[in-house]
Parts: sequence; structure tokens; C-alpha cells
Amino acid sequence: MSVVDRLPGGEGERAALIGGACVLMAALFALTPLVVALPSALYVFFEVAILYAVYGLLVLGLNLQYGHTGLINFGHVVFFAAGGYTVAMLSAQNPFAGIGLGYPWVAALVAGVLVAALLGALVGATSLRLRDDFLAIATLATAEIFHTLFVNFRGIFGGNVGLSGIPQPIAALATDGDTTLLATLLFFGGCVAFTFAAVRRLTDAPYGRVLRAVRADELVARSLGKSAFSYKMQAFVYGAALAGLGGGLFALYSGAVAPGFFTLQVTVTVWIGMLLGGAGSHRGVLAGLAIIMGLRLLSRFALDVTPVSASAFASIRLIVIGMILVAIVRYRPAGIWGNAEELGVDS
Amino acid sequence: MSLLAVEDLTKEFGGLRALDGLSVSVDRGDLVGVMGPNGAGKTTLFNCVSGIVRPDGGAVTFDGTDVTGNSPEALARAGMIRTFQLTRELRTMTVRDNVRLAATDQPGERTLPALLRTDAMESREREVDERADELIEAFELAHLADEYSANLSGGQRKLLELARALMLDPELLLLDEPFAGVNPTLTRDIADRIRELNSEGMTVVVIEHELETLTDLVDRLVVLQQGQLLVDGSPETVLDDERVVEAYLGG
Repeated sequence: MSVVDRLPGGEGERAALIGGACVLMAALFALTPLVVALPSALYVFFEVAILYAVYGLLVLGLNLQYGHTGLINFGHVVFFAAGGYTVAMLSAQNPFAGIGLGYPWVAALVAGVLVAALLGALVGATSLRLRDDFLAIATLATAEIFHTLFVNFRGIFGGNVGLSGIPQPIAALATDGDTTLLATLLFFGGCVAFTFAAVRRLTDAPYGRVLRAVRADELVARSLGKSAFSYKMQAFVYGAALAGLGGGLFALYSGAVAPGFFTLQVTVTVWIGMLLGGAGSHRGVLAGLAIIMGLRLLSRFALDVTPVSASAFASIRLIVIGMILVAIVRYRPAGIWGNAEELGVDS
Repeated sequence: MSLLAVEDLTKEFGGLRALDGLSVSVDRGDLVGVMGPNGAGKTTLFNCVSGIVRPDGGAVTFDGTDVTGNSPEALARAGMIRTFQLTRELRTMTVRDNVRLAATDQPGERTLPALLRTDAMESREREVDERADELIEAFELAHLADEYSANLSGGQRKLLELARALMLDPELLLLDEPFAGVNPTLTRDIADRIRELNSEGMTVVVIEHELETLTDLVDRLVVLQQGQLLVDGSPETVLDDERVVEAYLGG
């Protein structure tokens, strides 16, 4: 029996505990003169791991929407972007172009989550009463519309350059760059662990039972007195809010936002991660995302040893990721850790 | 006073009049059968009454309140529960979760109590578990409790749907062809259960094709034809009625 198994409570409680430990350690590095020196070869791993934690918030939200409630959201990136841009516009000081109001970052982060949730509520109110595929189209369209707005409204969103001058609280507190990197990773990791604990509790409770009933057969859920629309709305808004939190944290870490951070690619990555790991399983989707992002990291090193040009390599990478997706759908439709009977797929 | 009253109900699908000014009422404690040839409007009647489709005209009154066009969830919470002609078990959930789902007043179905795992939620969930297990036991599904309901046989699905409906303790139970595709032994079993529920005071309305089971079971028969009321009376008088014979044999 491992140490982890002897900790109190279920998986959710352990995750909360780990989250607490991570945040405490992050505080230790950020607030004390304690410094770490990282070998420069590890920088890339830290950067990808931080991005993984941010995407982890996205995939947990998406899993609540799709894995548990059956909502097809092909525009998850727009809620990520809403959080990022809200934080940027409210907190940035003297951005190169666009709006920067210079408010405290804490307020900006709260606003970022709220704006993403509100956008989720708006999209949900217009599309959730319709058939499943309408939501897919509406979310995809929303994401594209906002991407175009970000690029074209230079005076507001800074155009292609985006917004810079966003405060970086952890960098400001920590002594040097290496320590910042470690503290950021620990803090973001803690946020993912807390989120994991929360969604796990939610879906283990009778609440999750209703979500899964809505996914299985909305009419039955309604005939048994459950307001399917209200549950779909809640799941959708919670997922959007989590993506907004991810976007806000990302902005406060990188100090800048630009349309290039918020492309369709983000949606595709979290979707493939979720399907690969197994929709419905919180642990599975995080692991699936780790695999897909790990592959991308690995391919960076592979580029150095393959005899093809960088652009050709980028295309090959996309082909490989596409083939992985085809292989999952064909041979393991429930994903690696997914429950085929719970998802209603044959495997 | 009648528990359910339908007045002048009309529903059209395209050019087809599925319900054509139908009026019928069910008293508290009744056990009523609804029959009629294919396309007579039996299921449409259930769909209009239970809020799944909105009638074009007429009124539905439940327990003295006008509920015309109310949502299925509101009606279910008010105590009117229906089952479906083609069973709609939640295939991706276990038998146990199918039944537990139907529990009412579970605070854990709201976000905050679920996140905080409140005592109210935990204690209600213990009651829910107990009641669900009782029902599963009573319907002889205990050995399948942890099975996903997609793996059940047709008859077992019918039982599951009935058990799930009873979890809500309905005042009015609307059963849409509970015997369809069920073997004779199970048919008798289900009929016995329905009679038992009725004798305990539950008002039950049963749609059925199969005449014999229905006439043995119910106190009163309502025969529909082309969306209208053809005959309403005791099983004996209805079966002797020439119009009914004609509707079934001549139609």
C-alpha cells in the first residue's frame, strides 16, 4: 500500500491535500528569499509543464461539459481567451496597443473568471435548448468570431501584437527567474489539484448522477423531475469559468496575451487529450492531455535529429496527432482510461 | 374530485389530427385502461398530459390545477410520472443509479451542497440508497443492481422503468404499454404489481394493446378512435359494445 492510499478520504480529498501542499510550497519559494537554480536544459520542461497545468484546467472543465453532461463544445478556447483578455485589459499598465486599465491583478483575475462564465451563459442560453450539434456549431463560431475581433480591433485588443504589460505577480515576488518558474509551476499545479478535487466531488455527488442522466437521455431526466436545461447550463458555465481561470492565470504568468495563444489549436489539443485519456474520467483526461503534450515536447527534440525541414516537421506532427485520434476512435472509443459502458460506446 | 381531467384536447401533427377534442377524466384511486387501434392517439394523449408535447388546444388539469403545457419536470415534481412505450432506461448508468436518480428532494443535486458534501445531502442519500435497494429487491433486479442497464433484457427494462417511477412516489402513474414485448409470466407479474399499487391508493392509467390483460386488470376502460373518445365504461360494457368490436376488427 502506497503512502498516498493511506491518506484520508477518496481521490478528491487527496487531490485537495496535494493542491494545498503545492500552493504552500509555491508560497515558500515566492515569499521567502529561498532560491533554486534549475539546469537550463530543464527550462523547456518547466515551460511545457506550466502550460500543461493551464490546459489541465481547460480539460477538466471540458470533461465536465462533454464527459459528464454530453455537451459538445468545439469553442473551448474562446472562454480561455475571454479570461486571458479580461485580465490583460483590466490589469495591464501601458500596453503597447489596446486597452490597459492598470487595476490590481486579483480583481482582474476574478473579473476574468466572471466574464468567461458570463460568455458561457450567453452561448448556453442561445444554444443549449437546441439539439446537440447546434451547440457544437455555435461554440465553434463564437471562438472564430472572437479570434477575428482580437486580431482586428487593435485599439481595444491590440491586434496581432496583443496586450503586454500585464503584471506578473509571482515573478514580482520571487527572487529570480528560476525560482519564479518553479513557484509558478507549483502554484498552477496546486490550482489544478484543487479543481480536480472540486469536479470530483461534484460528479461523485448526486449532482453528477443528474449530469450523467442528462447525457444519457434528457427526456428521461426531465420525466423524473430534473430540469435538464438548468443542469446543462450549469455544467457549461462551470466549464467556461474554469477555462477563464486558466486564461487569467496564463496572462498573469506570461505578462502578455496575443491572438496566437488562443487559436483553434488549443481546443483541438484539449479535445484530443480528453478523448485519448477517456472522457468522463477526471484522472483519465489529465493523463491523456499529458500524453498529447508530452508527445509534442518529445517531437521538439526529434526535430533536431530528423532530416526534414522545420515546416515539414510541423506538418508531420499534425499528421501523427490526427492519426492518434483516428486510432483512438477506431480501436478504443472510450479512451485509455474511459469506461466504455458508461460512455455507451462499443470497444 | 377528479385527479386528472383532460378537456377538449386537440393536437395536430402536420395535417393529421392525433387528438380531436378529447375529454376524459380520472378520479383519485382509479385504475383506468386506455385502448384503441394503432394511431388512435393513446400515446399522444400521454405526451400531451405529461408535458412532452404541447397540445394545440384544450386543457389538462391535475389535482385541481391547470397544468396545460407545463414542462415534464414540473409535472413529475407535482406527482405525475409516466413510463415510455419503448423503454427508456438510462443505458450508460447502472440499475441502481437509474433508480436512485429518481429520488426527490436531494439537496446534493445542487452545486454547493454537492461541493461541501453537507450532512443534509449525506443523510438524504442514505435514505435514497435504502429506498432504491428496496425497490430493486422488490422488482427482482437485486442481482443486476450494479449492471449497466444496457445489458438488461426487455422484460427487465420494463421492471426497471417501473421501479424508477415508483422511486418518486407518484400520485398518478401513467404507464405506456407496460406489457409490450413481455412474456406471459412477467405480464402477470407486472399486472399484479399494478393492481397492488392501485389498492395502496395510487391512481394508475395504463395504455395497452393487448385486450385480455387490460380488461382483467382495470376497473374502467377508455377506448379511443381517431383522436376521439369512442367508449368509456366498465370492461364488460366496453367489450360488448359494437363500436369497439368494429373499431378493432373492422379498422
